[in-house]
Amino acid sequence: MVFTSLHFVAFFVVVYALYRAVPHRAQNWLLVVASYYFYAAWDWRFLSLLIGSTVVDYAVAQAIERADDPVRRKRLLWLSLAFNFGILGFFKYFNFFADGLAAMFATIGWRLDPVTVNVILPIGISFYTFMTVSYVIDVYRREIPASRSLLDFAVFVAYFPHLVAGPILRASLLLPQIATVRRISRTQITEGLWLMAWGVFQKMFVADNLAALVDAVFGGGASPRGGDVLVATWAFAFQIYGDFAGYSNMARGMSKLMGIELNVNFRFPYFVTSPQAFWRHWHISLSTWLRDYLYIPLGGNRGTSFETKRNLFLTMVLGGLWHGAAWTFVLWGVYQGLVLGVARGIADLRIPLRHTWQKVALGVLMFHVTCYGWLIFRAQSASQVVDFTGRLATDLAMTATTWQTLLVPFLLIVSPLLVVHIYQARHGDELAVLQLPIAVRYAVYGAVGWLVLVFGNFQGGEFIYFQF
Amino acid sequence: MRRIGLLVVILAAQFAALEAGLRWYGGSEASPAFQQLFMQDPRVGHRLRPGAAARYTTAEFSTDISINAQGVRDDAPIGPKAVGERRVVILGDSLVLSVQVDLAQTFAKQLERGLNAGDGATTWRVINAGVQGYGPVDEWLFYQHVVDGLEPDLVLTMVFVGNDAVEAYDKQTWIDTDGPPAAATADAAASLARRVTRSSMVLQNVRLRWDLLKSAVEGPGAERPLTSYLASPPPDVINGLAVSRRAFGLIAERAAARGARTGLVLMPARFQTDDADYERLRAIVAAGGDTLVRDAATERFRDALTPLALPMLDLLPILRKQPDRHALFFQENVHLTPRGHTVVGEALVAFVRSLTPPGD
Repeated sequence: MVFTSLHFVAFFVVVYALYRAVPHRAQNWLLVVASYYFYAAWDWRFLSLLIGSTVVDYAVAQAIERADDPVRRKRLLWLSLAFNFGILGFFKYFNFFADGLAAMFATIGWRLDPVTVNVILPIGISFYTFMTVSYVIDVYRREIPASRSLLDFAVFVAYFPHLVAGPILRASLLLPQIATVRRISRTQITEGLWLMAWGVFQKMFVADNLAALVDAVFGGGASPRGGDVLVATWAFAFQIYGDFAGYSNMARGMSKLMGIELNVNFRFPYFVTSPQAFWRHWHISLSTWLRDYLYIPLGGNRGTSFETKRNLFLTMVLGGLWHGAAWTFVLWGVYQGLVLGVARGIADLRIPLRHTWQKVALGVLMFHVTCYGWLIFRAQSASQVVDFTGRLATDLAMTATTWQTLLVPFLLIVSPLLVVHIYQARHGDELAVLQLPIAVRYAVYGAVGWLVLVFGNFQGGEFIYFQF
Repeated sequence: MRRIGLLVVILAAQFAALEAGLRWYGGSEASPAFQQLFMQDPRVGHRLRPGAAARYTTAEFSTDISINAQGVRDDAPIGPKAVGERRVVILGDSLVLSVQVDLAQTFAKQLERGLNAGDGATTWRVINAGVQGYGPVDEWLFYQHVVDGLEPDLVLTMVFVGNDAVEAYDKQTWIDTDGPPAAATADAAASLARRVTRSSMVLQNVRLRWDLLKSAVEGPGAERPLTSYLASPPPDVINGLAVSRRAFGLIAERAAARGARTGLVLMPARFQTDDADYERLRAIVAAGGDTLVRDAATERFRDALTPLALPMLDLLPILRKQPDRHALFFQENVHLTPRGHTVVGEALVAFVRSLTPPGD
């Protein structure tokens, strides 16, 4: 049940009508039931995992809060971590490591027959596992109190706008909103409707239309030129952005309509000039999670320069592996770790940027550094990464066919998005459109509506991040 | 009230701008540039407009299309047959017309080059008589009224097993009336709405999306062409096979009367060679409670057409044995890629040589 399907529209209309009609406590019951229905619509069998994770972490957090003995508190924390990462590891990485181990032994002549199971990845497991883990750690660190209400905690874990593709919310943000009576303002409704419309535009117009350009090159059926690879990689950069940011905006928008504020997950990530800034603007909820629960516990930047770079590298490799059980994701994490390490070394030189053109040039360079990471991320195999890298290095000329079939459609699809983004970025506010004069605002609403209606992809393509 | 008026004016202006932009850019079969390749003909329904030309660009290809004076896809006109010249006509639908690739890349032109490379004494001319949207009945009418005059020595009928049966079923009465019926005038309002929609590229796009939404509401199930592959096909497929046999039989009879031979070529659908596409469609059909049998339509056509006792080439095993079989059809478009045309062209050269041995 993707957000852009009729099934979801009908679901949300019914849930929202009931939500506005019932008092606070009943709203929370409604959200739990609706969220479990929403999840079961994907695969009801994995609902038990979601409920199990909710009950276990609710109970463990309570026990941690009650315990005074540091050893017992730590044991309880490890119990929760083992439970959550055990389930995540089994469903997400079992076959990956079993196959990898067999391949490794095969290289030295040992034949290993690992137990292989046809493990299906439960949708959204990476997202809700990280949420429950951060909750238990925050309770352990005494940064937040444990939730007193299993109902409220169940809403926190399963709240359907964020359930299958984030943002990865912190309990400190969401639990207080769930626990208290929500008042829905006129501003929240206006902003919510705009965010939903903008999210639909990012998904159905930008991402799903760019997918055809990307698949034509990365699909493996053709033998592309380097120019084709370059444009298809640009297209994928905006496809994955439109797909994921679109989902996040729809989630934030519908949540605003219900009076609940979610994190901003993307803030113009392609307008930055350094890798560090990129990760402050891209998938912000995952970046901050990795920072707070992995990078800083590893030592962060408190040690030597080498230790800082090592911590960055390990964090990014594990961040890459979070995205999925494939060597291309590991390679992507390695690449991001190296890029961050190199960028940190360059930043230490403190070279001043005095002119606007220098910043623009650095922005363009940074975009291409990011794009190469996306090439690794999108590639079907490590050998395709090598092949496409070679083509980029030796055959970058743009043919007439590249212009007509890739570059022109790419520019036509991306231009409306960029026009709005440039305006939003200049004002530092992704809701800046709502402050425009009325005629201009209506023109933006109309353009978004027409572009979705006339060019939107209505085939119900799934969101890329569902697979993570 | 003023705000609503302002919104209406803005939406109308944006509609006009979009319409103008779409007409200028093209890039769709709904564009006027592409649509002007076709014309109405009371004898055959629709056909290619003699002398028309267009550039057709999508995300996957960009091609120049020229229609010659005789109304078939070619850069050069077809005059009287010269001494030593032999002609092959290929009848079919969009899979033969092949607007997705340049003329030189079409299997028709590859067949022509292949035949001319083998026999210096004979000059071969291969005529691409494919027309978008044609089925067996249209092909019979087009052959009878247009192609027959091109003096073919060999008529190849490309049978698209995916939808030819249902298309033949829909037009079965056209055979006896020797053409399409006169336009119905029953519902003037609906007719006007259709005309208005057809005249606007914006509205055609909106209608396409409306149809997609409707089909999503109606739930999963086999699209009509896929019904030819169901374990238990509906009556229109069974009857359509019989109508197809009749139409192809009429083509063969008329060709024989002119001293020409006829051959049948069975063209599979993409999912019959593309495993990923097959899995996707199988799941869709299964969700609707039916069973998709991958090669059922090919086998049904082979059985239905065997009584005609015409030479038959089944392209399915040839396409399926290619190591790069997933690359034979476009991804966004179910038509042959240049690579697919090469494979089919080579198969047709061998087939035609077997039908027309030297000295025949």
